[in-house]
Amino acid sequence: MNAAAPAIEVAGIGKSFGGLVALDEVSFRVAPGEIVGLIGPNGAGKSTLFEVISGSMPPSGGRVMFYGADVTRRPAHLRRRDGLCRTFQKVRLFDTLTVQQNIAVAAMQSVPEGTAWQTAAEHALVRMRLTALARRKPSELTLADRKKVEIARAMAGFCRVLMLDESLSGLTHEEADELVGEIRELNRREGLTIVIVEHVMSVIVALAQRLIVLQHGRLIADGTPAEVVRNPVVVEAYLGTRRRVTA
Amino acid sequence: MSDSAPEISVAPRRSPGFLRRELLALALIVLTATMPLWPIANSYTLAVVVRALLFIALGQAWNVTAGIGGQLSLGHGIFFGLGAYATAILFNRWAIPPWLGFLAGIALATFVAFVMGAATFRLRGIYFALATIAVSLGFLEVTEYYSDFTGGDSGMAVRFLGESWWALQSRSPVPFLWLMLVVVVGFYVLSRWLLQSRLGLEMQAVRDDQDAAAAAGIDVVGTKLKGFLLSAAMTAFVGAVYVQFYLAIDPSTAFGLTEAIQIQLPALIGGLGTAGGPIAGGAIMIFVSELTNWAGTRIGQEGIDVLAYGVLLLVMVTRAPEGMIGRLFGLAGRGRDA
Repeated sequence: MNAAAPAIEVAGIGKSFGGLVALDEVSFRVAPGEIVGLIGPNGAGKSTLFEVISGSMPPSGGRVMFYGADVTRRPAHLRRRDGLCRTFQKVRLFDTLTVQQNIAVAAMQSVPEGTAWQTAAEHALVRMRLTALARRKPSELTLADRKKVEIARAMAGFCRVLMLDESLSGLTHEEADELVGEIRELNRREGLTIVIVEHVMSVIVALAQRLIVLQHGRLIADGTPAEVVRNPVVVEAYLGTRRRVTA
Repeated sequence: MSDSAPEISVAPRRSPGFLRRELLALALIVLTATMPLWPIANSYTLAVVVRALLFIALGQAWNVTAGIGGQLSLGHGIFFGLGAYATAILFNRWAIPPWLGFLAGIALATFVAFVMGAATFRLRGIYFALATIAVSLGFLEVTEYYSDFTGGDSGMAVRFLGESWWALQSRSPVPFLWLMLVVVVGFYVLSRWLLQSRLGLEMQAVRDDQDAAAAAGIDVVGTKLKGFLLSAAMTAFVGAVYVQFYLAIDPSTAFGLTEAIQIQLPALIGGLGTAGGPIAGGAIMIFVSELTNWAGTRIGQEGIDVLAYGVLLLVMVTRAPEGMIGRLFGLAGRGRDA
């Protein structure tokens, strides 16, 4: 791994399901320490791109680079151990395990030596303010807490890039604000690179330093939030009117 | 930050009454071990208890891969049969003592499990379950075909040498009762350890959601395989003891689907994925079997025990899907310490 290389580099990624083209020659880079928002209308290919980058789904063409190393054919669990971490669009926890077991089992994978995983798991638990819920089962938690557990599990142990798939959806304004604060802290204090897919435009425009816009599987814009919301192609294809963006 | 660093422990949550259950377990062990001293004890009743312990141990072994690991093996009789046949053939043909035959049976079973797991664990859906049935029926045919070696349809009898520790043979069921009691307690301790070990947590994570497990860094195929190999080895060991106790084995008993179903029942009845479930389930299964056999003899109708198993399973699935242990101790999910 090359620390000076882009955290993520996606080069000409394509993905087809039979005759349906979900991703078409998508290329972009994410620098270490950035918060990048991935946006686009439903069916734009955001989740498919997430699956391809995380290794859950092989691409039909193109390459995925992680800190300069080609990980295109590397299995998902090894990418996670390399530090490429993710959450799911619909929260997917290990329902029969407690909160701390959910986090510990992930920490064990990337910090396998001795008891270091315990420190890593404790850190994730404290970081996401889940200590009081440590011995609860996921079914006993609110949606907001379940999302926090998923983020804690994703970042537990060795994590360099955190990919968040609609982590704010379904939350109240207060819950979403709190989680946005946590995500900013993860970026600022932990130095995590964040890639986030989100539909709440006001939040993502405020949170992300850069936005990448997909439509029909193609990348149509890549720039700062200010540039992207003024981009007429984006406005026409996705955002509809400027009023929605600034709301 | 207001949160202080917690004490991280991956041990399962202990539910109320934990100590009471430990004492109950200890009392059961003492009662079973001293059973030969009871006034009602005779060869028949002791043999029934040995049979119960054998099926409890088989249920415990199956529970490792299916209950804790979530991998539905419908043909687990494969490993039972391999353990039994390997031990019997090595002893009859080359006078290799069962203590070494056990190891051969375990080695053979884990090799077959490795080949099956490596071929099917990358696939999703029901392929693994189907493969276990197919391989099981394949072994049934092979055993019947190579009759010179296996005794064919009618099976094979183990040469009886009389009372012998070397050959692990006895006219009395008592040594087998004690041996199987040690095995059941050992498997229980192993299951308890597994539930809170790294491998056990990984197996439970894969069982709950294999995509999420991979995203957490868990080697999904490797984890399934480890659980399956452990389960196969445990099953083969019990198969080897089984053939020493009954001194006979035949293809249908070893690889037949009825046997495979009986291996699954203790955990399904008692509580899938729990350490104590197969013990309660196996005891209930053999009690029902004895009761129906007795009733069947009275009314001149054989084989109603299988019908009773079906009814029992239906009742458990519809009325207490958490199993007997879950129903008794109020455990709502799997992976508990009970």
